[in-house]
Amino acid sequence: MKTNRTVSPALMQNLRDVAEVMPLLVVLLGLFGGAVVLGILQSFGYAPWFGINEFPTTRYFERLWLSSDFWASLGLTLYYGFAATLIGLVISIPLSIALSKKFRVSRTFAALIRLPLMVPYTVGIALALVMLGNGGLLSRISAGLGLIDDPAQFVQILKTHWGCGIIAVYVWKQVPFMTLTLSAVLARKGEDTVEAAMVLGATSRQIFWRVTLPQIMPGIVSASLICFAFNIGAFEAPLILGGGYPDTLPVLAWRYFQDANYAFQLQGMAVVVSLALVSGIFLAAYLLGYRRYERARGRV
Amino acid sequence: MMISSPRDIKSINPWQRLLVLAMATFTIAPFAPLIIQSLAFRWAWPNILPTVWWHEQRERSPFPLAWDYVFSPSSRVAEATINTLGIGIAVTLLCLLICLPAARVLAQRNFRGKNQLEFLIALPLLIPEAAIGIALLMIFIALGFAGTYAGVIVVHLIPTIPYMVRMLTAVYQGHGTEAEDHARVLGANRRQIFFRVTLPMILPGVIAGCLFTFLVSTNLFLLTFFIGQGQIITLPTLLFAKISGGALDATGAGIALIASVPGIILLMFTDRFIRSYPLAE
Repeated sequence: MKTNRTVSPALMQNLRDVAEVMPLLVVLLGLFGGAVVLGILQSFGYAPWFGINEFPTTRYFERLWLSSDFWASLGLTLYYGFAATLIGLVISIPLSIALSKKFRVSRTFAALIRLPLMVPYTVGIALALVMLGNGGLLSRISAGLGLIDDPAQFVQILKTHWGCGIIAVYVWKQVPFMTLTLSAVLARKGEDTVEAAMVLGATSRQIFWRVTLPQIMPGIVSASLICFAFNIGAFEAPLILGGGYPDTLPVLAWRYFQDANYAFQLQGMAVVVSLALVSGIFLAAYLLGYRRYERARGRV
Repeated sequence: MMISSPRDIKSINPWQRLLVLAMATFTIAPFAPLIIQSLAFRWAWPNILPTVWWHEQRERSPFPLAWDYVFSPSSRVAEATINTLGIGIAVTLLCLLICLPAARVLAQRNFRGKNQLEFLIALPLLIPEAAIGIALLMIFIALGFAGTYAGVIVVHLIPTIPYMVRMLTAVYQGHGTEAEDHARVLGANRRQIFFRVTLPMILPGVIAGCLFTFLVSTNLFLLTFFIGQGQIITLPTLLFAKISGGALDATGAGIALIASVPGIILLMFTDRFIRSYPLAE
């Protein structure tokens, strides 16, 4: 486009703004939007490169949603996601409050506790194997205490559908993320309101429920949204530490994709779209609930 | 945040002390058996410590000794490390190039659809990674991008862009436009304003954003694994291949420790950058 000298400075500025946002938009819409659109098309039977074009068909969704395996997988996926996010929050809310009180070694502790944020999930899985496995350190310690005398007697933590190993890895990895998010909110809010409440005679329980918690609510919502979305989309932890069949949805989708029969890829795409749909529904409900909470408090 | 002087750890109540200590233990302690495992030659159940250490067996059996193997070419650890760091640097620079201009606009301008744009930018964090990865894999296979460095670098942009934009937007918001306005009045051109005024002001935030982006990229497993198609190996995917059977041997422990090194170095040297990044908006 040619711009001549009569173009007003304001318009020039606007054009420049658009040009500066453009690369970001192109990447997001091209990659991310493209993936979403193609994923949906494929799950409805559009895959000309395999010689399959039945668009639009709901066959893949019907087959998926009518099988009880899918619902078992979905249940497991949601269970791991919810349990890990909840446990993470229960730990990181008091932890961030404790670390927000500046004591001499608080920075050292804060840095130590941040370590899992810096390493890959696969390292967390390796740690779970070496700690929680039947031949792991906890099992050895139980033997040392005389509780068991054979590795097989150790309580099965990994490779069960209770998913303690998976949840432990998620919690280990995500508590630092949540704590950091909440600490950032706490640092910005300052201690003025807490001190005011104290002066006015509030008990520490009242301060927590009436002052601190509402203040950090935005941080709680944003951190738990991100962690929950991550947890239900995670693949490696359920694959290695999970109980096998029925798998979580991401693992199920991956197995479809690894199948030699190309047609199964469309089935896998239906799994993926269902997963995104479920995640979207839960996140929307959560945000809606949060908005209602904020409105009830008169903040919006 | 800065005014309160440091107090003793006793300034927090016993429950909080217990929580902090317990979490520090939960976080750090599992690394001990990992280190021991990587140095063990024979570590049978139920011994808490190995009965035979690695160095005690050096002459008798040169192979497989965890660290010898980790540092030998056949483990592909060196290749994975170079890939991890190279991809991380490329992703960080590309991400910065894309996000810096957009962050300025988001921070300083108001326009219709801004909320929707911000939502779009946050969306990659809220859609399950497996969903994005598998759908993109199809596109990338069709484009011939799967299993190439370009493909992996591009796909790493998806989870890094939301953080980078957030951090840079917050940085721009914190500075306002007054200094730039002064420079403009005094006759500086756009390039001078950017390099002499804006950049020095926002540099700490830019470095923080870059470090965090680098970190996210080096720790990414799923998208690398899906899009890399096993041809691009990074430390997380190498470790995954080692432990996917559900057991951890000495070499696996060694690779896990190597995979933690970039993060530990960043943690030690970048504490003050990472500390208060504005995640919580």
